[in-house]
Amino acid sequence: MCDSCGCHPHHHHDHDHSHGTSQTVDVQKSLFDANNVLAAQNRNHFDSHNIVALNLISSPGSGKTTLLERTIDEIGSEISIGVIEGDIETERDADRIRAKGVPVIQLTTGGACHLDANMIHTGFHKLQNEKDGDSIKLLFIENVGNLVCPATFDLGEHRRVVLVSVPEGPDKPAKYPKAFTSSSLFLVTKTDLLPYFDFPVDEAMGEAKRLNPEIESISCSSTTGEGFEAWLDYLRDLVRD
Amino acid sequence: MHEISLVQNLLGQLDSLVRENGRTKVTKVTMEVGLLSGVVIDSFQFGFDVLTAENPICRGAELEIMVPPVLYSCTGCSYEISTRKEKPEMCPECGDNIFNHTGSEDLVLLRVELE
Repeated sequence: MCDSCGCHPHHHHDHDHSHGTSQTVDVQKSLFDANNVLAAQNRNHFDSHNIVALNLISSPGSGKTTLLERTIDEIGSEISIGVIEGDIETERDADRIRAKGVPVIQLTTGGACHLDANMIHTGFHKLQNEKDGDSIKLLFIENVGNLVCPATFDLGEHRRVVLVSVPEGPDKPAKYPKAFTSSSLFLVTKTDLLPYFDFPVDEAMGEAKRLNPEIESISCSSTTGEGFEAWLDYLRDLVRD
Repeated sequence: MHEISLVQNLLGQLDSLVRENGRTKVTKVTMEVGLLSGVVIDSFQFGFDVLTAENPICRGAELEIMVPPVLYSCTGCSYEISTRKEKPEMCPECGDNIFNHTGSEDLVLLRVELE
């Protein structure tokens, strides 16, 4: 019941004022709802298959695919891995992962700057039909290289991992806070390049922590393997839980 | 520019609201944009202007955007700061520098005016 004009709402959630030709409808609905509902369905689906899903986000060129290649080399025989690759165009990343012998599908967004829960829903069903797709225990979703838009869209992942490579500089957390406030793990990659760049790792990790008190941090190099054991242990713990 | 896909989603909802209420046109849309939603207000407004211009139901509609302040709370002493500015650097009460926030991450269609 409206206090000012005594009208009754037409809908359970709409609060409706009709005054001749114009009408105000109270909607109170999140524009993220549609995606979030699908994301929750994806998460339930992963849970029912005992799959842990990770969403990797970073700028283009931070080393997401290279990280996955080495990760598959290191623990692919221990944990069944599957990968959904997201890019604007091309199958190139999927080709690199396929060469490692794990099930992979490529999503090309055709210009869209992020993956959404609906694409993951469709993509995951396709992935399950790939060879060994039905035995995946650890699913990596490599998002479109972009530190802004992917941070807004829940895909149904269990953990979001944000990567920053050493050449990008340590100010990424401060400049792109949403990627860090929404992530569970901050990975500093390409640490083999630390001698050549001014990248105070502790400072960057501290900044991430200031934005998100819950975030964990690991630094590693996919080239030399330095720090990789901590990353692999993080994954082992996720799959074990 | 994920704002464009969010505006597309909004136009779909507006279309449904117009039909559900037996109306023909949207004249005003009121949105709440959380400062931590990852939505750039200027980009959202731009996307709204561009896409409504092509949409007979929404053409010429006004977009009103409400931006509530973010409520930060100090993890050290629970002191609360409500601000539309950047995250506080340091707690004025205990000097701690780690804050949690509640809300301000959503993008909500609050109400629409229809004709």
